[in-house]
Amino acid sequence: MPAIETTALTKRYGEDVIAVDDLDLTVEEGEVFGFLGPNGAGKSTTINLLLDFVRPTEGSATVLGYDVQREPKTIRSHIGVLPEGATLYERLTGREHLEWVIDNKGSDDDPDDLLDRVGLEPEAAARSAGGYSKGMAQRLGFAMALVGDPDLLILDEPSSGLDPTGMQELREIITAEADRGTTVFFSSHILGEVEAVCDRVGIMNDGRLVATGTLDALRENLDLAAAISLDVERVPDALVADLETHEGVHSVTVDGSTITISCATTPVKYDVVTQVGAATTVRDIVSEDTSLERLFNTYTNGEQSGESDADAGLADVETEVSA
Amino acid sequence: MSVLSVAKKDFLDIRRSKSVWIVSGLYALLVVFLFYLGRSGTSEPNVASQLSALASVGLPFIPIIALMMVYLAIAGERESGSIRYLLSLPNTRRDIVLGKYLSRGAVGASVILAAFGVGAVTAVLWYPSLEPTVFAGVAGLTVLLTLAYVSVAIGISAATGSRSRAMAGSIGFYIVSTLMMLLPTFSIVAALKYVLNGRLELGLSDHLFEFLRMLSPTIAFRKAFPLVVPSDIETFMTNGDPSAPAYLAPEVALVILVAWLVVPAVFGLWQFNRADLG
Repeated sequence: MPAIETTALTKRYGEDVIAVDDLDLTVEEGEVFGFLGPNGAGKSTTINLLLDFVRPTEGSATVLGYDVQREPKTIRSHIGVLPEGATLYERLTGREHLEWVIDNKGSDDDPDDLLDRVGLEPEAAARSAGGYSKGMAQRLGFAMALVGDPDLLILDEPSSGLDPTGMQELREIITAEADRGTTVFFSSHILGEVEAVCDRVGIMNDGRLVATGTLDALRENLDLAAAISLDVERVPDALVADLETHEGVHSVTVDGSTITISCATTPVKYDVVTQVGAATTVRDIVSEDTSLERLFNTYTNGEQSGESDADAGLADVETEVSA
Repeated sequence: MSVLSVAKKDFLDIRRSKSVWIVSGLYALLVVFLFYLGRSGTSEPNVASQLSALASVGLPFIPIIALMMVYLAIAGERESGSIRYLLSLPNTRRDIVLGKYLSRGAVGASVILAAFGVGAVTAVLWYPSLEPTVFAGVAGLTVLLTLAYVSVAIGISAATGSRSRAMAGSIGFYIVSTLMMLLPTFSIVAALKYVLNGRLELGLSDHLFEFLRMLSPTIAFRKAFPLVVPSDIETFMTNGDPSAPAYLAPEVALVILVAWLVVPAVFGLWQFNRADLG
């Protein structure tokens, strides 16, 4: 049974706005799934649909095997949620927030344990949440999501408001939860954190799922063989022209004594290095990995030209991107 | 279980609200002030007539107290987004509406009962007798009126998505149900009567228009008042007309008042259940 499964899930607002368009998404039990996309791509609407905050125009979704519209209460008792942009109750202390969630979920968690896990000081927990910084609020929200040992964590932009230490701790908590068998589904537009913790990612753009798969698979699929930079003694003009016409070379840029060549596929790198080596003396070679940003931009800006599948979900994606 | 948990948390939250304390304090002061006036104004102070005075003078304030304490209960959480926390926990939308109604209703009733409690102390000190039956009756009826407006505000708060709309709805309801109803000759009903009888010459009975006026919780409260005060005080209230038909009886007014406890909240829940909370 998948932890999350949506079938042709669609949400329209009025006639013209399609927030989520025919979404088929499956998140398997036990995996850490990164839900990526720029702001306004439909990530939050998808999460709102999964939590029954908004109702689909068409299609359906299940969470932990339960229909989201028919059994929201059952679903909510088995999941932990960190909602995006939700303010806390400013008149309640951090501890009171936790005690309320523990009471509401009927669990027997110890508030101090939870505070400790998310790195919120007991003194801070004794204060009203009205005076919390964004990072503190996010930590408390995280502690609230962990109450009752949920089978599935849904985290909407969990890193917003966290400093680098907080983000590191967030990754540690996610990893620890995943090790306990918890499925983690989290949305983000920051890619660095995704790479470190996710088993699989899905990329949303304009309400559509444009890609799903492991990061490696997506990278390979795109053939974003990235760039190679060569530091040379001198740059002959003819060399640049030759390189630009070389098959498989996307672009050539020269900055002082450095030539940067963007190649379509990895083997082309060897060819261009040989060619440059024949024309001038090479002092240094730096081969760059496909950056995650680049990968992301490629999917969301429709620059993609690859042909192979990262997984089944990608097949219709490519038609979509090239269309 | 969930309803109680929602109510408990909301109670914890609302009891720290300064505005609730200020409004309650002011209402208690009004009660004490009226009892003070009743003692000094006449040679024969009478608790029952003073309670009637309270029911008249204090009447326009009850809806304000209730609406003010409640109108943000759900709409405010929708605007701030904290409703996402509530709905991420094992609560249904119904649990939230009922839980909020329960806690705000409890707070509203407590405010009224506390003020009447203070009033009772002053009555014992300043008046020849407390007349506990009348006292309890008026307090009980006032609590009903408060709960009717709590229900209205819960309904408005559940049906609207933002603070400003909930506020507009509450103010609008107050104007229509109280300000434009209290004085029979300057009421909306009088305007309706002018159109239907004066212009269209339908010749509808005055009793019918009085019944329409009684549909307002504020007026229903007044019309039900004879149920809780002795008959010599009742003449003070305007409802002394012996030819009045059965549907203008104080018992009917009480039923209308009780209906207000249910209908707006149910309407709000129905709207809230259908709403997109994105």
